[in-house]
Amino acid sequence: MLETKRTLIFLLLAVTLSSSLLGCQPQSPANATAPAQTSVTIVIAEDPPSFNPVITDTGYDSLVMDLVMLGLTDIDENGNVFPELAAELPTLENGDVVQDETAGTMSVTWKMRKDAQWSDGTPVTAKDVIFTYNAILDPAKGSWIPGIDYIDSIAQVDNYTLTINYNAIFPGYLTQFGGEQVVVWPAHYCSAEQGFSAWDCAREPLSDGPYKLEEWVNGDHMTFVKNENYFDKGKPSIETIIVKIIPDAAVRKTMLLNGDADLDMWSSEQMIHDLEGAENVQVSNSPDNRWVMRIFFNLAAKGATDPVATPHPILSNVKVRQAIRMAIDVDTITKEFFYGLAKPNWTEFFRPPYVCDNVARTQFDLEGAKALLEEAGWVDQDGDGVRECHNCGTAADGYPMEMEFITYSEYGEPLELTQQFIAEQLGKIGIKLNLTVVEGSVLWATAADGGIEQNGNFDMDIWDEGYAGIDPTDYLWSYYSAEAAVPDNGYNYGRWENPEFDSLLDEAYTLDTQTRHDAFCKMATLLDEELPQALLFTAVNASVHSARLQGVKSSTNDIITWNAADWTLK
Amino acid sequence: MAAYILRRLLQTIALLFLLSVVLFALVNLAPGGPLAGQGQSRHVSAEKVELLKRQFGLDQPLPTQYIIWLAGNDWMKVDVDGDGIKESSGTRYGILRGDFGFSFRTRKPVLEEIGGRLPNTIYLMSITMLAAILLAIPIGIASALRQYSKFDIAVTTFSFAGQAIPEFWLGLILILVFYAWLKNPFTGQPLLPSGGITTLGLQGFNLGDRIEHLILPVLTGALGWVSWYSRFMRSSMLDVIHKDYLRTARAKGASNWVVLYKHGLRNALIPLVTLLALDLPYIFSGAIFVEYLFAWPGMGRLYYQAAEQRDYPVLMTILIIGAATIIFSNLLADILYAYLDPRVRYE
Repeated sequence: MLETKRTLIFLLLAVTLSSSLLGCQPQSPANATAPAQTSVTIVIAEDPPSFNPVITDTGYDSLVMDLVMLGLTDIDENGNVFPELAAELPTLENGDVVQDETAGTMSVTWKMRKDAQWSDGTPVTAKDVIFTYNAILDPAKGSWIPGIDYIDSIAQVDNYTLTINYNAIFPGYLTQFGGEQVVVWPAHYCSAEQGFSAWDCAREPLSDGPYKLEEWVNGDHMTFVKNENYFDKGKPSIETIIVKIIPDAAVRKTMLLNGDADLDMWSSEQMIHDLEGAENVQVSNSPDNRWVMRIFFNLAAKGATDPVATPHPILSNVKVRQAIRMAIDVDTITKEFFYGLAKPNWTEFFRPPYVCDNVARTQFDLEGAKALLEEAGWVDQDGDGVRECHNCGTAADGYPMEMEFITYSEYGEPLELTQQFIAEQLGKIGIKLNLTVVEGSVLWATAADGGIEQNGNFDMDIWDEGYAGIDPTDYLWSYYSAEAAVPDNGYNYGRWENPEFDSLLDEAYTLDTQTRHDAFCKMATLLDEELPQALLFTAVNASVHSARLQGVKSSTNDIITWNAADWTLK
Repeated sequence: MAAYILRRLLQTIALLFLLSVVLFALVNLAPGGPLAGQGQSRHVSAEKVELLKRQFGLDQPLPTQYIIWLAGNDWMKVDVDGDGIKESSGTRYGILRGDFGFSFRTRKPVLEEIGGRLPNTIYLMSITMLAAILLAIPIGIASALRQYSKFDIAVTTFSFAGQAIPEFWLGLILILVFYAWLKNPFTGQPLLPSGGITTLGLQGFNLGDRIEHLILPVLTGALGWVSWYSRFMRSSMLDVIHKDYLRTARAKGASNWVVLYKHGLRNALIPLVTLLALDLPYIFSGAIFVEYLFAWPGMGRLYYQAAEQRDYPVLMTILIIGAATIIFSNLLADILYAYLDPRVRYE
């Protein structure tokens, strides 16, 4: 019996030991190259799901995609579109864009550069673009990109020329097969059978960009080496780029300080602040930031989605919304919680190419806010510190001015402190806010999945949003148009509906930039007066990088690796 | 005994089935969903949502989704292109036939996702557990033999601290000290790496490098276990020391060593072995904080990510595997207990 016991204990130990030996198999293949002389390490928090950000837009996929693949065009840090696989940009002026004003249609002819090759030596041609389009379009295995429904047909003119025929005027045509998310996929390499959404070539990509993927150890690191077939000869100058997955921000920071990491994407305010003054670290700020921190007002009663039949008892009056904006001290928030790195902002149209300066900033004024609330019929007569309705017109007399104020948890401490600070300030003018913090996936889920916003289950929310790229039209439609107020149709969560805005939006669907600019600035005035959302400030959009790494340019319009081919080492 | 094991196995299958229903419902009914935006995108466009529902099979009612998850849909017609016509056979086989589906996040088969992570977790966790046991048993014994001595008091204090210190805090401090502050006097490099399994670009297997990478995560992970097991060993040893059979052993003239280790320790170990068997699932599930801090590509991180991003297929698979290992570890503990303690008999 004793022997059996001993055997059993040994067995247990043996199982444990052998399983640890099982794990001891080398992680990297034996033929992995030794680190090259010029090598930089990018540290990111999560594995990219794939090289195709159209499928799962995490930002990490864009980061690695930009290293290996090209679109027809891309956007620089100042909002200028530049050709990648295209030889030149098609415009009305050079005749490559032809408009049929009466029919409201257009066609765009793309001429592609002839010296671009895949890393196996096959030329990149118009066939690849058409292949990509068809793959996205596949109803079963495809996906969706902005404006794809506007495309009637694509015709190949010759090996390097194609014409896209649109059934509408689509102002965003320049970056439809380019920009931050869309690239051209190799027709001879990717499997149409597997389909755009799941094909293997999104994990083992064939490169036509500056680098090619050499190794990907899931959850650990990715190694990229210089692509000798990249059309821009002489670039890139750095031979190897290693992307390491380091989940914890404090560890990433320590690695940067220790010189073991060269670049951190989406650096937080905290990280930038902590690294200030460190000799071997620099910060690259983008000229503008896309993300505007803002308060969403629900104009329909909480839990309802019809602002006319069931208006919000408090927020449906624009004076109340204006009072709330007036009572928020944005300067203190940006200074105290964002280390002075956030910039006050009060309009959607603050970055190139569409900047409108016809809207003045509302000054922080507690007394003015109180006066507005009194005017709107909200007075604190019972002296409990919370105003109640007295002939306010939107609620029964005596209805208290108390609401739920929600934000999301992933942003972290600065946003939660901001939420608390705003509640404190509004408390001073007699508005009581009850604070809630939820996960983003709960806040933004579809109506069917119980999404808080889509179902209108909120009074006021605060979070950051802004449009990608340089064309705000689709974004404006999805947040402010009446059509987008239908649950799951768009994201007009406040259910603000305004026919004037909708017609301005229609005007903006044109190729004439001046007309667009005028329409946008009229919208800016309208949004400022009606205040469906109160825009507060833009948080920081920056990357921290080692001092030896030169040429890093943070951009609102693309991920940090967009110009990796131009990076150099000092 | 064989009949007992067979009966327990049958019960296990029923239990697992029941659990799978409950877990599937819980995972799917929890607030939030996989169709919310991820990373930098707050939203998925309405056009894409329709498509994704179809590709993920979320357009089906929940009971149907469960049946497909369990038994596949290759025996039924499905609508793959969204025109409302069910035109072709499904491609899923269900978990009963080994198809755990594909990850919503990466579109890779779930088993491939888990297969890439499981060996790393088993590697780290089994060494962590082993280190914990090898430290805890002698500490526990010494503590018990010198009850209320200075050593015992020190160990007791230490183990309460060890159980109270949060892993993420301890890990960060260790990284700060051994990676950021202390340097190797010969090379000027950090004394220990901040994380990972091996040094990048290293050729083949290098034991020294492996050990360097293991020290901090194992230390962080094992501290809690050492405290826990050593307390257990101490009290179990104390129980045994005062038993009559030890007195008998002494009376018949056995040496102190034989009394304590041959008669005492062997009996004191029985409850610990049971406890160890119950803790076996941790070897597979991993430790989230340790993996997160030390950039260890293991199951804990995969699970956390899947939960956060509502990657249902990955989440379900990990939960089911977790449930199964817990049930089987319990069974194993019962069987081991019967073998080790002749007084325990199962009918």
